[in-house]
Amino acid sequence: MIIDMQSSEVPRLNMSSWEIGESRYLPGMEIKKLGKEKFVVYIGPQHPGSGHMRIIIKVDGDVIVEADPDLGYVHRTMEKLSEGRAYIKIIPLVERMAILDACNATLPYVEAVEKLLGLEAPERAKYLRVALCEINRIASHLYGFGIFGVFLGHSTMYMWGFGDREILVELAEKLTGARLTHTYPIFGGVRRDAPQNFTDNLRKAIRYLRKRLEDYRRMFLDNPVIRKRLEGVGIVSKRAATDLGLVGPNLRASGVEYDVRAVEPYEAYDEFDFEIPVFEEGDSLARAWVRVEEIKQSLRILEQVADKLDKTKGQQIMHDRFWAKVPPLYKKVFEAEGRVKLMPLFAILRVPKGRAFARTEAGRGEITYYIESDGKDKPYRVRIVSPSYRNAIMFKYAIPGHRVADLPAIYGSFDYFPPEADR
Amino acid sequence: MMPAKFVHKKTPKIGVLSSIGKNASALVLGLKYFFEPNRFTLMYPREYIVLDKRYRGFIVLIKNKCIGCESCARVCPTGAMKMVKFEVPNPKNPEKKKIVKYPTINHQRCVYCGFCVDICPTEALYHVPVHDVVYFNLADMIQYVESFQKEPVSPTAAEGAVPVKYIFDPERGLVKVRIKEGEKQ
Amino acid sequence: MAYISIWTLTRDVISTVFWGIVKLIFWPPIYQFVIIPGLVAALVVVISIIWFERKAAARVQMRYGPLEVSPKLAGYLQLFADLIRYSFQEIIIPRTADIIPFITSPFFALLLSLLPLAVIPVSPVKWTWPLTLSAMRYSVLIAAALTTLSPIFIVAMGWASNNRFSTIGSMRESFLITAYELSAIIGIFSVVATVHSFDFTNIVNFQGGGKWLGLINPIALLAAFIATLISTSAFPFEISDAENEIVAGPFTEYSGLMYGVNMGTAYIKRWAMSVLIVLAFLGGWRPYIPPPNAGYIAGYLVPSLIVSAKAVVVMALMSFLRAVYGRYRIDQALHISWKYVFALAIAGFGLGILEGYLL
Repeated sequence: MIIDMQSSEVPRLNMSSWEIGESRYLPGMEIKKLGKEKFVVYIGPQHPGSGHMRIIIKVDGDVIVEADPDLGYVHRTMEKLSEGRAYIKIIPLVERMAILDACNATLPYVEAVEKLLGLEAPERAKYLRVALCEINRIASHLYGFGIFGVFLGHSTMYMWGFGDREILVELAEKLTGARLTHTYPIFGGVRRDAPQNFTDNLRKAIRYLRKRLEDYRRMFLDNPVIRKRLEGVGIVSKRAATDLGLVGPNLRASGVEYDVRAVEPYEAYDEFDFEIPVFEEGDSLARAWVRVEEIKQSLRILEQVADKLDKTKGQQIMHDRFWAKVPPLYKKVFEAEGRVKLMPLFAILRVPKGRAFARTEAGRGEITYYIESDGKDKPYRVRIVSPSYRNAIMFKYAIPGHRVADLPAIYGSFDYFPPEADR
Repeated sequence: MMPAKFVHKKTPKIGVLSSIGKNASALVLGLKYFFEPNRFTLMYPREYIVLDKRYRGFIVLIKNKCIGCESCARVCPTGAMKMVKFEVPNPKNPEKKKIVKYPTINHQRCVYCGFCVDICPTEALYHVPVHDVVYFNLADMIQYVESFQKEPVSPTAAEGAVPVKYIFDPERGLVKVRIKEGEKQ
Repeated sequence: MAYISIWTLTRDVISTVFWGIVKLIFWPPIYQFVIIPGLVAALVVVISIIWFERKAAARVQMRYGPLEVSPKLAGYLQLFADLIRYSFQEIIIPRTADIIPFITSPFFALLLSLLPLAVIPVSPVKWTWPLTLSAMRYSVLIAAALTTLSPIFIVAMGWASNNRFSTIGSMRESFLITAYELSAIIGIFSVVATVHSFDFTNIVNFQGGGKWLGLINPIALLAAFIATLISTSAFPFEISDAENEIVAGPFTEYSGLMYGVNMGTAYIKRWAMSVLIVLAFLGGWRPYIPPPNAGYIAGYLVPSLIVSAKAVVVMALMSFLRAVYGRYRIDQALHISWKYVFALAIAGFGLGILEGYLL
């Protein structure tokens, strides 16, 4: 099935043709004859032009006529593993699907469990969660930019993206104690209070990153070579983006107004004044620009978070129900080190019977969790839908019609992250 | 309450003539960084970062404080921490032995999430701000009570590497600063 | 008596052998093809330029680049370490490869990309010219013709490898050959139009007193510069062996020393083209003028070193572009080379004719 992306008309999948009798093959396993001039190239799974995934392309000369994304090389059965674990142990598990985006990936899980427990994090904990989420979002976008740059042969963007990410990683380390797998939000709050000079450091980092974004624009986005590679490449029309269910920056680059932070504000996002950039073009360049603009807005949020953190200094970061039960030693530790000690209850936490659903806007798009509890200390079911998984389908439709050299440009622009898609 | 606004934007267009200027701009920026590089690389084996006290590094047991409640082993998400039983003489009744439990950590499995440290009701576990300990065989990575009580020493620090720390800077991002002797973190 | 005669005999033998070796070294075909600016100089320059390329890119990219092999020399010996590693690596030849072209092509490509250096003058002194006087009158023509020989072997490599990435890479290379050759040759020939001579010595002598043809005719210089970038797969035209798209293009199946030779060939070709550009546009050995009947050092070594030094600067400039640019797509490179670079070359040629008429 080849779709002309320009026509903005995406045919619906015709389920009836898969019925037994009409076709001898299972969907996705059809055998087709290749034309004489065409040949198949396997891009991946160990190829510098793709991550841990494979794209099987059929090329006619230098032009790709068909692309078939083949996922699942880093599948880790996170959903199934979750069914055999206590609730708190799932947090370090699921954050490993997107370690660059750890807080965004675990936050909806924590929120869903909080809904079942009937808890809500206190104000300061919400600000701290937002702070780490936005730090993660910028880090994730910079990582995406780095990979994007090296796919286009622009090694400077690669190194700059990764080099400047170090500042955000350092900030996260100062806040949580770990560089990547923060395990920061916990049921009813967050695990650690911000250190003394955290907001000062945050403001310094924001000033530095604002300056660097201008450098990125000059070196990468406005670089005529890069523009030529991206402009008009991999166009996803508004219709195609909504029909195929893209999420996140890729969706907003196609002109669709959708962002969980706006349509269903979670945590403290409704208290901050920020914009959500939407680009109309839907090509690789727009997808790159939407991320740059998002980093700018994230810096804006972080600035406001820093003010709020200064204002709420000394307030609680755990739910009142928690503090009502703890022994005095816990309060002493919190006052001395800003560290929340968990109650032994957390290890055997029983969550009331029920179903909960929560979603957040992760760096790569909407991430949703559905949790079903049967009242025991382990969830009955944890369903995770990650943004990269939803974006992966676009490779099938955005790549055909382009040249082999465009494949890395399109792949990189989607900021696809295989461990997150495969879970 | 100020919900976020959607703002529609367009990618800036560049003509043929202005692309010459953009080329020049990129080249000038490259030359600027060529002459004034902004680098904060850690020259690792010769330098090491003096980590924050808050850093979630290796975990150490204080045996005297441990009451053998098993909370740490129960909360460990990877099963790295296990309880091991010991028979000690019972002071009240010398004929019977008393059984006590102490945690054991397996550093092959530990992910340093710090749940065990936070859940310990008597603060018997704590993090050491060290992250680069090397073991020569896998068996050493399982630390029973005796070795679990020793604070690991960073091998780079032990070999006399230069201690450094990173401070934030609005112009250069991070700046590597050498820590002088006797200076507290 | 016998003692003295043996002494003088030995002395005579030693001096004959010594001067014989010196004569052999400074025999123009050997000197130019093997020593400067040929194989030895090319090797040293290529190693230094790769080191510079890595260090320069690292400075821009918040890194240090090669350092650990020799921290006091800023990592310069890293490249020698790489060279040694390449030479002792196992060479794997795929069973499906076409074995004779697979093995021979890299070495032909290397030798042929050095050939232009054997026909150009690097000094105005007559005895140093590698060609006869009558052939020397056409040295620009001969050198330009020889630069076009090596790409065919890169195409052959891709075909002989029998790998899909190699096939795509050599197809791209064959497209690019058509794109740069005309522009490069017309760009260099605009100099011929100005000076009214196909002789490199006349062209260099014309550029005395700071009257460099690159300054008089910058359009042709730019065309030749960009065409050189395309021909030697330098950024932003590193297309035929684009690592992130087609692994290593035509060189995908090569390993060990043969891969090293392939990587070196592009740089050696860049070196040869840089020397040509220096002679044609950047004043060659000027401002130095050797005395007539000059010896080996003043008449041959010094001017050749001046040419080499200028060519190294040109190469360093080309290498620096790696830190600023990504790579074009093949159709965009063709578009640029036919629509802009070719037009530049023609404009430069026209300017050259005009200047030849006026000057």
